[in-house]
Amino acid sequence: MSVRVIVRTVSELCITVGTLIVLFVVYVLFWTGVKADRAMDRQVEVLQDRWAKQPVRHTSAPGASTAAPEPPAPYEDVKPFALMYIPRLGFTWNKPVLEGTKTNTLKKGLGHYANTAQLGQKGNFAVAGHRRTYGDPLKDFPQLRPGDAVVLTDGANWFTYVIDKGPYRTLPTDVQVIDPVPRKSGYTRAGRYLTLTTCDPEWGHSHRLIVWGHLESIQPVEAGKPEALRR
Amino acid sequence: MYGWIWRHLPGNVWVKALISIVLTLAVVYALFQYVFPWAEPLLPFNDVTVNDQ
Repeated sequence: MSVRVIVRTVSELCITVGTLIVLFVVYVLFWTGVKADRAMDRQVEVLQDRWAKQPVRHTSAPGASTAAPEPPAPYEDVKPFALMYIPRLGFTWNKPVLEGTKTNTLKKGLGHYANTAQLGQKGNFAVAGHRRTYGDPLKDFPQLRPGDAVVLTDGANWFTYVIDKGPYRTLPTDVQVIDPVPRKSGYTRAGRYLTLTTCDPEWGHSHRLIVWGHLESIQPVEAGKPEALRR
Repeated sequence: MYGWIWRHLPGNVWVKALISIVLTLAVVYALFQYVFPWAEPLLPFNDVTVNDQ
């Protein structure tokens, strides 16, 4: 085999590998976002279709209250059950929340830790989401501050949580952050809490970023959008 | 490698060029549809939860 053939083959291999890497970067940075946006839109449609079929309720006294509604039926795995709004991440920022935190679930929206409390119920409602790739839903996570509102709706009620602590940086093994009363959050008594988790650093997986909040108010959807979402 | 493929494609230069483009697109499609979705979870961007690594 001549030197020429060897040099040519090696060069062609290098070009091929380089092209592969560039294509893969395009896939991770761009194409996963396109796919995730499509998947999230579909989840939102599923939710809206389901909510549109709900019977209309009669409201006696519209307005905010802190009386918790009846606990909903157990969430179905990989199915969406709520929409989350975080005004700090953008006025139009809203994402579907799905049950479970499996890799495939998190490609379609935010994931609710299956063993944590349900929306608005006593305990800790814990949600995880991608910081980067798959639509970058929680890209601006470090900008969250105590006092920021995290609003969720399950089609019947608006749940307004207010962030009390964070962003708090911890290790992936620190599962206590999603306990019913997370120790490091500063909460001492049982209550209705919210925990959001994502990865840190932005493109890494060595740490996790956490914010904690408490349930501020519940109001039926018939009473209109909560204060935090009005402009 | 590419020279070998080019020599084994049928037809004149234009047909060969057309087949090459189709082949390239097919490879890119296979990569985006099957290979990259398999390889992507091996990267750290999916680890956003605290319990499962």
